[in-house]
Amino acid sequence: MSIETTREHPERGDDPDDRPPGYVVGSGPDDVERELSHDEFDPIGTLGIILVYFVILAVMWAFMYFVEFLGRGITVVG
Amino acid sequence: MATFVDRYPEEAAVVRATFVVAFVSLGIGAFFGLIQALHRTGYVRILDSVDYYTILTGHGVLLALVFTIFFLLGLFTWAVARSLERPLPDIRLTWAWFGLTTTGATLVAVAILAGLIPSLGVSADVLYTFYAPLQAHPLFYAGLTMFIVGTWMAGADWFLAYRAWRADNPDDRIPLQTFMVLTTMLMWYLSTIGVAVSAVFFLLPWSFGIVETVNPLLTRTLFWFFGHPVVYFWLMPAYLLWYTVLPKLAGGRLFSDPLARVVFVLFLLLSTPVGIHHQYLDPGISEGFKFIAMTNTMFLLLPSLLTAFTVVASMEHGARQRGGEGYFKWLGALPWRDPAFTGMALAGLMFAAGGFSGMINAGMNINYLIHNTLWVPGHFHMTVGTAVALTMMAGSYWLVPQLTGKRLYSRPIGLLQVVLWFVGMVFMSNAMHRAGLAGVPRRTAEPQYQSFDFSTALGSVGELQAQIAFGGFLLFVSVVLFLFNILLSSFETPMESPVDDSLPAPLSGAEGSPLVLDDLRLWTGIAIVLVILAYTLPLGSIVTDAGLFGDSPGFPVLIDAVAMLKEVVA
Repeated sequence: MSIETTREHPERGDDPDDRPPGYVVGSGPDDVERELSHDEFDPIGTLGIILVYFVILAVMWAFMYFVEFLGRGITVVG
Repeated sequence: MATFVDRYPEEAAVVRATFVVAFVSLGIGAFFGLIQALHRTGYVRILDSVDYYTILTGHGVLLALVFTIFFLLGLFTWAVARSLERPLPDIRLTWAWFGLTTTGATLVAVAILAGLIPSLGVSADVLYTFYAPLQAHPLFYAGLTMFIVGTWMAGADWFLAYRAWRADNPDDRIPLQTFMVLTTMLMWYLSTIGVAVSAVFFLLPWSFGIVETVNPLLTRTLFWFFGHPVVYFWLMPAYLLWYTVLPKLAGGRLFSDPLARVVFVLFLLLSTPVGIHHQYLDPGISEGFKFIAMTNTMFLLLPSLLTAFTVVASMEHGARQRGGEGYFKWLGALPWRDPAFTGMALAGLMFAAGGFSGMINAGMNINYLIHNTLWVPGHFHMTVGTAVALTMMAGSYWLVPQLTGKRLYSRPIGLLQVVLWFVGMVFMSNAMHRAGLAGVPRRTAEPQYQSFDFSTALGSVGELQAQIAFGGFLLFVSVVLFLFNILLSSFETPMESPVDDSLPAPLSGAEGSPLVLDDLRLWTGIAIVLVILAYTLPLGSIVTDAGLFGDSPGFPVLIDAVAMLKEVVA
């Protein structure tokens, strides 16, 4: 859609064919090479990212609790 | 091919108007943010430190309430008309809520900014939380009430649109975007009861002098009854964009429509009965009630983690359709040159980091470590300040052309802008978290004390201050670039299809999900029961302790307080 439109406005001088993929706002689907259905798609990359995130969360939480929080001893007010 | 403005010209005009209010607030609020970042780090102090609190109140209210909620009003109007494929029932009602919210927001802004001119005798330096016994001018509470009532009318407008659609489509599933709007508004109706009661029955009569005293703990608790759900009110527009627009921008499709519905239902149920977790250090509320609030809060991690999975999986789907391979290499196949995509993806990444500091805030014991320190603003600049604000700005690059029929002025500037925001926030927010751990307080114009130096485990306080000031500067430049880009876009020549506005169907659609998910009455009922369980006893105990109207007279706002102190000292 956006390709057709910009072709209708050559005076703008931005032929999308000359531009790198993803340059035009919302044009991500223009570069789709293959259609993946629900059953063909296995989000293993997402699993990897979530696992890395969990590890970071756990390590940082342990640091905050055991080092920063407990490491300071009791706060005495007054 | 026609876009939104061609199909729904009247609705597009309202959405444009709400965006104008949102972006004007963003500009003023961001400028105030720059003043604060430079002031509290000691680099540039153009204002008296007394006026810092006026600027701080303005920054909080204009960005956290006006910018975010006006963007929401526009986005939800777009989403309802678009997903129901029909105009709103009566455009006069739509303009009426726009008029009421805008008038209310203007009154609030005037009451706050008037504090800079003491001779006017009007001020509202009560900060974003407007805790009694700090007292604002009645204009502030009246404007706030009008604003809230305006948002209720907007919700009614969208529910009426839904009712009209339902009459024509008795057996269809609620379209996903409308489902998101309706569940968010139900959560909003429930939670704003707290702020409405606080403003109308206590703070407004008190500021007029009709009642002499208030019970500060009661109004604080009513504020947080609303004050935590409001963060989800900011976040749900970002979620709407992440679930329904980001997969398309990535070149893919939403992984699961039912999972998205479950997330929004969970937010309706759990957003409100958690507010007391902001009051872990408030005396007068027993530990048991705070523990219940903490437990509910931990349950709230669930919808956010579901979102992390669904949204990342949808992006991965796009990347793999675009030829991406491997465990992590597919990330390179995403359209990183598209500012709308990149802004939203970076916003999501920052939200993941904000999730970590939020977990620390939520723990009843560990919260003591960071309570009222600069850690807390560090946290919410990652969440509302980036996850929400950056998503809204990035989303605007895709949305505004649909509302004007004109293409975006510059995509490279858009890309620079979103990256600059992310980098600026990495500097500022990271340094704020670390400064908080060193004990540097929040909400303080001059966080330095005689005969006391903050010490950091790593680096130095000077380095942290430099990072905060530098980060704040980058953020301000980013907002200037954003506003400049949007402003210049409005001068472009209209064209037939300024942007690809189509949204693909989810990979797993609503048809396979249980019908009960769409039973809004059931979920509202359960949400009300949870609120009653979480709040009846604490509120009862607060009222029993100090009475409905308490015994605290109005404490003059800071400018008066300083003048009074000077007299006392003299």
